[in-house]
Amino acid sequence: MRPTKLGSAGIRGVIGAGLTPENAIDFACAFGTFTNGGKVIVALDTRFSSEMLHQAVISGLQSCGCEVHDLGIAPAMLLSFAIPKLKADGALLIGGGHQKESWNSIVPWGTNGAYLNNIQIRELFDIYYGRRFLTAKWDKIKDIVPVPDNIQKQYFDALCKVIDTKAIAAAKFTAICDFCNGSGSIMEKEFASRLGLNLIPINNILSGILPHDPEPRPHSAFQVQSLIKPLKSDVGFVFNSDMSRVSLVSDTGETLSEEYAFPLGVNYLLGKSAKDGLRVISNTCTSKTLDDVVAQHNAVLDKHTTGQSSMIDYLEESNAFICGEGSGSFTSSDWLPCFDAFYMSAVILEAMALKQKTLSELLAELPRYHIVKKTINSSSMNAYNRIRMLKTHFTDAKISEIDGLRLDWDDGWVSLRTSTTEQFIRLISESKDKELAEDRSLKINALLENLG
Amino acid sequence: MDKILHTLKFSEAGVRGIVGDSLTPQLTSSLASTFGKYTGSGRVIVARDTRNSGKMLEQAVIAGLLSVGCQPLILGIVPTPTVQLMVKHYNASGGIVITASHNPVEWNALKFIGPKGIFLDIMESTELFDVFTQGNLDYCSETDFKTIRYETNAFELHMQKIFNEINVEAIRKCKFKVAIDCCNGVGALYSKYFLEELGCKVVSIHDKPNGIFERPPEPLPKNLKKLSETVKENNCAIGFAQDPDGDRMTLVDDKGQALEPQFTIALAVEHVLYENPGPVVVNIQTSRAVEDIAKSYGCEVFYSKVGEINVVNMMMEYDSEIGGEGNCGGVIWRRLHPGRDSYVAMALMLEMLTLNNESVSDVCASIPKYFTISEKFSCSTFRAREIIREFNKRYQDYECITLDGLRINMPDGWVLLRGSNTEPVLRLTVESKKQQDAKKLLEDFSNEIKKIKI
Repeated sequence: MRPTKLGSAGIRGVIGAGLTPENAIDFACAFGTFTNGGKVIVALDTRFSSEMLHQAVISGLQSCGCEVHDLGIAPAMLLSFAIPKLKADGALLIGGGHQKESWNSIVPWGTNGAYLNNIQIRELFDIYYGRRFLTAKWDKIKDIVPVPDNIQKQYFDALCKVIDTKAIAAAKFTAICDFCNGSGSIMEKEFASRLGLNLIPINNILSGILPHDPEPRPHSAFQVQSLIKPLKSDVGFVFNSDMSRVSLVSDTGETLSEEYAFPLGVNYLLGKSAKDGLRVISNTCTSKTLDDVVAQHNAVLDKHTTGQSSMIDYLEESNAFICGEGSGSFTSSDWLPCFDAFYMSAVILEAMALKQKTLSELLAELPRYHIVKKTINSSSMNAYNRIRMLKTHFTDAKISEIDGLRLDWDDGWVSLRTSTTEQFIRLISESKDKELAEDRSLKINALLENLG
Repeated sequence: MDKILHTLKFSEAGVRGIVGDSLTPQLTSSLASTFGKYTGSGRVIVARDTRNSGKMLEQAVIAGLLSVGCQPLILGIVPTPTVQLMVKHYNASGGIVITASHNPVEWNALKFIGPKGIFLDIMESTELFDVFTQGNLDYCSETDFKTIRYETNAFELHMQKIFNEINVEAIRKCKFKVAIDCCNGVGALYSKYFLEELGCKVVSIHDKPNGIFERPPEPLPKNLKKLSETVKENNCAIGFAQDPDGDRMTLVDDKGQALEPQFTIALAVEHVLYENPGPVVVNIQTSRAVEDIAKSYGCEVFYSKVGEINVVNMMMEYDSEIGGEGNCGGVIWRRLHPGRDSYVAMALMLEMLTLNNESVSDVCASIPKYFTISEKFSCSTFRAREIIREFNKRYQDYECITLDGLRINMPDGWVLLRGSNTEPVLRLTVESKKQQDAKKLLEDFSNEIKKIKI
């Protein structure tokens, strides 16, 4: 397995093997050059190696003459919020996000508070590969500026304008929040007090110790799940360590697939806006539940390549209303151009409060499918080839190649793509029929093995 | 010859370069990783001087150290000798000081300290650079990362250790009035406090710790006009001039006369031998006055190569308590620690003044007088060596010492030619009993150097 991965989510790698202080500094220098020595915000998460990358990145940025504003340990959405507020030329976020232990990453953000888009990221990598960076003379190196503490307050002020906090507070919800020991817990108290929640935080020590798989999935929700009933909780939220994804646990203690966070949000937000023809952006491997919900509201669904960068870019480009992915993330044009798990949670809570329904009742409104997700180890050069060759084996399916390969049948679909963040092929199979979804994933897995 | 040939310099004095040109965060972090690994991935002390580029390089050093599983212990802005002491105090595996010492402000450097609290010697540095060149560092994995530690009281500890070894009460009683020129370096944070703790009334200049040097950073008489004036205006008993990282010191006497750096070691040797006679070690670029003083106490003087570590190693070999480097005002008092220390020098000078009721100018008048002058020529290391070889051929009739460069001993003085370890220059130093003779010698040799075409 190769230990480094470059892409729209910046530079990612296994610490030591793929991500070293040297290439972190080079990457920061490339970004400093990209912003022409401008004002850059830096934030980090709680992984053990994040402080090392933090020091390396600031050093690199300073050497380009950048004015570094250090946000310290902070989740992604606070960084996204701070960029336009501080009129910064960009930002770098250090953190493992949803990735396994030993991985870390440096994610570049643009002036608009979103991930860099395709064109920007290409320009950045051209500078990175060329290794010719802007260098400031000794007397042009600027001091580090701390970001004002009240940025968190400003963020929640903004959030409270788009969320009906009174209704949520009146409902007196009890919510269990699993922060995966990530950076989100620095904001847990303010979140609880603004929304009037009885918030029970778990895994909220700021530490690199991962209490479970950091990807919000049903299998990482068992700690929350075990507490739902004893604590008489209305809902459980499982976050990844940079607060860009969420999966839900219902009041009955069901660990929901992360796929449902987005359709639940879409169902509520489209219903609330009560307009026809709104545009929703998603990728080609999100549950059919979304297609059904969008159709119910007479909205339009556009499918594009996977990844936060691409989702946000298409949201802005096509004046869409909402964008999101089945990995447990969404945002709307009324909110930040970034996936924000506090916002997503607040939307779900508002839906429960205003509709006066429990989470399990909200869920009952959605058509449900059986979804199987597999990750198959594969070096990516070989992977593209193998995915392409698969086409010949499924002549009965409708084929789409917007992102990897998607096979559609009347009774289900399968998506195969190489991960943007890791050295995997991601296989997703969905159907009304659990066995059929399972069979198709196993068949394709076997075919891939043979082709490999 | 005005052009700087290349600015990166790897030597036993560390790795020096110009920020924004050759000394980059990438290089700095690689070197720190290498050093961290070389010293066994333990605790490493990190400190810097007041230079503007210090913070940037400090972060690259921390990143490099963390990535190989070291625990960086950050002292912030402190004198270089403080770091050497702290390495021992904290049982650290080593230390990295980010300072270009007396080099101009655009320079910076990494200096490497071994587990004994002394700089790496030439063998160890060579080994370190070999490891650096080989690359393929074995970085540690996510779970082996350590957290950063901070120590904000390091200088206080340093000061107390000095006070334990000198007669603080005697100095305090005298209530000296002194002037200090901190050169906008680390001294700006600590020197006034240090002297006040010794009961002095202190007038300080160049005392903003901003790294923007208001005088050239080398504490040479020609750079100390303002200190001389300050001493005169305030009737001070003595004036001290530090370099930016606080290891070197030059004196101004009670009449406002700036003394050659050679006097710092001469006076320190005089004072220490007065109480504890024993062998003395100085570098080859040190005034013969030291030899004369030692002789008067029946003590022997040994010469080492230029460079703190060379003096230190030889001091340990001969078990000498006092030593140093005449050319740069470096005093090493092994009773405290084996490293150049301007605070030790200041304390010794003040202690000396309490003894015989003599002023600094009186003491200076009582020791043998020599005149030392030097000049530097921009020149690559290779060319410097070629020139030195040529001189070695030409002056075979004299007593020539080739320990480090070439020292030609003459009846009333000496001439030294050597390539610098820290800059691409050839240094010419001459010493003689009479000022005129020294000037003549310098002129003759300087002309001869200019004529050589190699």
